[in-house]
Amino acid sequence: MKLKNYDYYLIILTTLILFAIGLVSVYGIIYYNYLSVDPQWTQTALYGKYIDEMNSYIYPFLLLLLISLGLCIPKRLFEQDILVKFTAAVLGVTVVLIFLKGIEAGLGFILAVMITVQTAVLILTFKKSQAIRFEKEGYIIRLGSSLLHLGVVILVFNFVSLRDNPFHILIFWTGTILVVAGNIFSFYPGRITSLLVLIK
Amino acid sequence: MGFPEYLAARESLAVIGQPVITYILIISLLQGVLSLLYIINRKDEYYNYLIKFIYINTGLYVLGFIFLIWFHIQIYNTVLIEYPAVLRQMIPVDSSRFIIPLWIESEKLYFWAMAAFIFVLVMQRRKDIIAFIGVILSIFSGLIFFLSNPFKEPLPVVHSEITMWYSALGRGDGTIFQVAGTLYGRITYYYNSIYMWTHPPMLFIAYASLIITFAACVYMLIRRDKLYDEIAYRYAKPGYILLTAGMLIGYPWAIEAWKDSAWWWDPKISGSIMMWVLYSAYLHARIYANRDKMWSATAYLGIICFASLVLTYLLTYIVPGIHSVVQP
Repeated sequence: MKLKNYDYYLIILTTLILFAIGLVSVYGIIYYNYLSVDPQWTQTALYGKYIDEMNSYIYPFLLLLLISLGLCIPKRLFEQDILVKFTAAVLGVTVVLIFLKGIEAGLGFILAVMITVQTAVLILTFKKSQAIRFEKEGYIIRLGSSLLHLGVVILVFNFVSLRDNPFHILIFWTGTILVVAGNIFSFYPGRITSLLVLIK
Repeated sequence: MGFPEYLAARESLAVIGQPVITYILIISLLQGVLSLLYIINRKDEYYNYLIKFIYINTGLYVLGFIFLIWFHIQIYNTVLIEYPAVLRQMIPVDSSRFIIPLWIESEKLYFWAMAAFIFVLVMQRRKDIIAFIGVILSIFSGLIFFLSNPFKEPLPVVHSEITMWYSALGRGDGTIFQVAGTLYGRITYYYNSIYMWTHPPMLFIAYASLIITFAACVYMLIRRDKLYDEIAYRYAKPGYILLTAGMLIGYPWAIEAWKDSAWWWDPKISGSIMMWVLYSAYLHARIYANRDKMWSATAYLGIICFASLVLTYLLTYIVPGIHSVVQP
């Protein structure tokens, strides 16, 4: 499959997954409202059950989103056949972990892999390496895309696996800065370039 | 300076603000009619009047906002909460003043509408989009006048808290400890919080920008012109950046202010997640807007995104939760 077509279907898949997460959120709103018949319900064990239930609904879609990102991010590093084998291997380990230790462990693993790969992509992008391929042209856009993807995986990893970690908030701010900077770089490459020229 | 001065400032705001909001309503009605006339007949004459009315309305909104700023400064100057000695041993301050943000209670919709008017004036790219948004903003002004008027009984919750404080002071009984404790929490974690001064305004400015994206998506479907996709995208960009940053800033605030309270998967948070993922989906889909049926899918997605935005805003008023004013 051509890289262009591959990217197109990947974008459609990502769009559909994001839409599905939106639907899960709508369900959460309706369900919360339904449970609120008892005004004190959030003070009872029911609230914990509700949180677990909502997490259990959202995790599969997060996993799918990560798989889609998993296909999206390393495509910049690997050839397509290696990419498929790499994804299959990561997915295999994730599935095994889900069965052995639960979905949070599986998600944690895939997120850790994504962070590693995306950090490599970011470093190579920053160094203007020829070893990575991007759909879009332009150094700033590529840098923005790398920052954005890295920020997203860090934030999700932080929410899923590091909620009780003492560095939770510090990691949160790191992810937030990367995401926002990534957005600005991706959306306004021209202005960022002008700004950099001005600074130099 | 004290309670009588605060009451006088509140009364003055109502007196000087009420005519402004009335003029906004009248001009908005005319603006709405002209917008509809332009949409139907597409005569430049209507548009020329329409844009003048939008300028006037923006000016009125800004004038009203200046009055609100003045009132908030008066609250700061006139109301001083001096904590009882026993409470001072438990908290790090001896006294507090209210630094009330300009986007709470009945001022929320006003702030959003004012930001949207400014965006429209900055844009002025396509007459048809301006006219379409002209209708939306007329509806906004009507809703503000009848349901969320910041000049009619200004800041009712803040007012009840200030009144409660001075009543307790006047009585001089034990309730003052409870009232002071409650106010300390409200002032520290809510009104004066740096998050309160960043999280909501970022979201409201994002909402204002995304109104233009919505209007452009509607016209994408009608006219099937690439220009509308470009306009939608141009305003989705700042909207999305502010939406992302604004939403994320809410997270450490929730941890700090709500601690172990039941806030995770609260309806407003679910709504915000829904809105953010839908806008992410829209931005992904529009990369290939020119392919197959992606054009209309992108436009419909942009419209659904805006519906989710309106729903998320309304959740505070229709569904119970920690963000909500509705009690179960």
